[in-house]
Amino acid sequence: MNALWQLWLQPRRQSPLPAAFAQLLWLGGAVALGYAATAQAAAALFAAMLFGSACWLWFMLLGLALRGLCRPESFLLPRFRRRLALAGLVEIAQWVLLPMLAAALLGVPHALPGGAGLLLLAAVGFAASAERYINLLIWALFVLAGWKPGLAWQVGRALLASPWSAPLATLLAALFIAMTLRAMLRIDDAEADTSPLENAQLGRDRWRATDAAPARRGALARRIADLFDRTSQRAMDAALARYRRHPSQRLRRVLVRRLLLPHDNPQAIALRLLLVALLVSFYVVAVMHRQRFHASMVGAYAILLGLGRFPRLGHGMRRMRPNLADLYLTLAPATRADYQRTLIDALWILVPVTALATVVYTALGIVLTHAAEPLRMLLVALIVGTGASLAALAVHLVGPESLWGRTLVNLAVTLGAMAAYWGGYELLGLLGDTVGALALALLVLSFGIGAWEAARREYLRRPPRFDAPLA
Amino acid sequence: MSTPAAAPPPPRETPPAAHAPVLRARALRKSFGKREVLRGVDWDVPAGRVIGLLGRNGAGKTTLLRCLLGLSPLDGGTVELFGEPMDEPGGERMHRIGFVPQTFDLFPWMKVRAYLDFTAAFYAHWNKPLAERLLGDWQLDPRQKIGELSQGQRQKLAIVRAIAPEPDLLVLDEPVASLDPQARRAFMGELLGLMRRPGKTVIFSTHITADLERAEADITLLRDGAIAFTRPLAELRARLRRVILARAGGWTQAPVTAGLLKAMLAGDEAQLLVEDPSTDSLRALAEREGATLRIDTPTLEDLFVALA
Repeated sequence: MNALWQLWLQPRRQSPLPAAFAQLLWLGGAVALGYAATAQAAAALFAAMLFGSACWLWFMLLGLALRGLCRPESFLLPRFRRRLALAGLVEIAQWVLLPMLAAALLGVPHALPGGAGLLLLAAVGFAASAERYINLLIWALFVLAGWKPGLAWQVGRALLASPWSAPLATLLAALFIAMTLRAMLRIDDAEADTSPLENAQLGRDRWRATDAAPARRGALARRIADLFDRTSQRAMDAALARYRRHPSQRLRRVLVRRLLLPHDNPQAIALRLLLVALLVSFYVVAVMHRQRFHASMVGAYAILLGLGRFPRLGHGMRRMRPNLADLYLTLAPATRADYQRTLIDALWILVPVTALATVVYTALGIVLTHAAEPLRMLLVALIVGTGASLAALAVHLVGPESLWGRTLVNLAVTLGAMAAYWGGYELLGLLGDTVGALALALLVLSFGIGAWEAARREYLRRPPRFDAPLA
Repeated sequence: MSTPAAAPPPPRETPPAAHAPVLRARALRKSFGKREVLRGVDWDVPAGRVIGLLGRNGAGKTTLLRCLLGLSPLDGGTVELFGEPMDEPGGERMHRIGFVPQTFDLFPWMKVRAYLDFTAAFYAHWNKPLAERLLGDWQLDPRQKIGELSQGQRQKLAIVRAIAPEPDLLVLDEPVASLDPQARRAFMGELLGLMRRPGKTVIFSTHITADLERAEADITLLRDGAIAFTRPLAELRARLRRVILARAGGWTQAPVTAGLLKAMLAGDEAQLLVEDPSTDSLRALAEREGATLRIDTPTLEDLFVALA
């Protein structure tokens, strides 16, 4: 009983605010269900929506919490799996069975299919937090529904009318839960990390904050990571050979860059651009059906993709600190500021890389959405991408260390850059491409360079740090 | 100066009850990619013993311990724990097992107290006074988050968590690597206290051989992906001798004698590790080679350097 209680507590302890929100939604659903008893169909529908949202959110939180708990060491706890199953049944009783029974007792119509629907939503939420293949399956269903909305609507109506819908939803939910639990309870060997500053998963952070566990990689992801690693090795070998032939400060900086940012060599950059372009093309063509978007949305999305590297950099710089002591001793700099300067020089490459990526993604967006003002969009992307990457690099060099602080800073930089793109696009529309671009460059680049220079001076002033960061 | 080698005593007899293996591994194989780490490990761990698992870095000690507990999938072989096949961790027998991993980076969001409460809830027996005492002795703040603890503090917490259920089998993977000397001493005290109770078995891998000597452990050496030997430390000490032959001009080839396990040449000296040496034959060897003879008892560290 005590173990059940402890397991029940986990999602509430890990994510108290979302957990409270989910409980509030559930309570709201209970109140709406009470009104539905007085034969108000709208209240019943509202109750179903609230219960559905609560269920989906709660089981997603539960999945996140359990994914963190289900580590090989936890499996050594006596009867861990059996108790986990019991805790799951308790959750299903509260979030699915109780509303369904209450609805049935109050005489609300469609209580049984509603309960099955809740169970399916719970399973989808649970799966969404833990197993990406199930996510892909659900996503594929949405893609198909978007492709043929008329057919999807007809299938949905037929399912609702069919007596088989409840058992089918229950079976599907059972399948999702079983697949998720199977993945969660699987014992895998831990994988080694490439570099804390890098991420071959195209923007997905391998280390999820909720459990500090590395995300599991599938076969395709491992192949892609291998490809990136091979380019890194080749780039490092080439840099080393060049440095041996002609030792110079510039080539030394290249060597340090290859060490710190192994996936920022030309081949890896091209590979990353290609992969993101493929994914985005698929998404826009298959899911969004090449809808026409406003230019500012396309550009903002390109900015979002381009700036995706920086949060990883900020996190990685902290994780790398103890290892950087080795680099410090190897470089044997004359002063501490020299060492800091070496790091800055190595990281500065991210500015042109991000600007280039933003321009490429914008160009792709232009092609995919048949944008009307391609030159204007590209000019704004280049200027805002450069300014935003300067600002992002600046805040990640000297910005806050706490998780909350970093999250806020990331949010501010990304939203600010997206807003700057929108404003810049409008500005070029008002003043014309040449004058508008000059004005935008003056505004955005002066801000970016100012932020970068200030951060650079502050970073050079600070002593190097080699202490391990607190988790 | 030469000293005569002590006559090797017969192998240490163990009580009949202690012969029943707590853990039995047969033909364990494990690879990571193309690298084969375990190449057919056969190992019986009898009840009531302290086993020190030694091996070089990368020898596969951590992999072996994790495979034994079902924490790492095997490529081949079988493991029996308390007489039952260990296909995957779980079930009632987990009440009888304690484990301290090499690095403890679990549950950074949990506070120390919450973590111990969570863990204790799963065990039928949990020595709460012991856990509280260790928390106090090791200055672990129960209100602190695990993510905010240093590596050494996490190691202490992992030890508290493993010892508090007073398990029959305690498996420790480099348990003292991150501990300060006081905590190491306290840990060894707790470990020896636990071992004084009948039927308790401890397996621990370590590079700090002094701890194994203090615990009078049986030594198991993992070499080339297999168990090279398991011997009581006292037997190793009694049977093995370090023989040092010194002569001006040094050595081009290591001298050979009966029972020779390892020879190392360094300057004028040839250091031989010899099992059950005969003093007479060693004297004859020294005379033949024109060298002075010195025989002493090797420390466990000497043995590790020579054999691992």
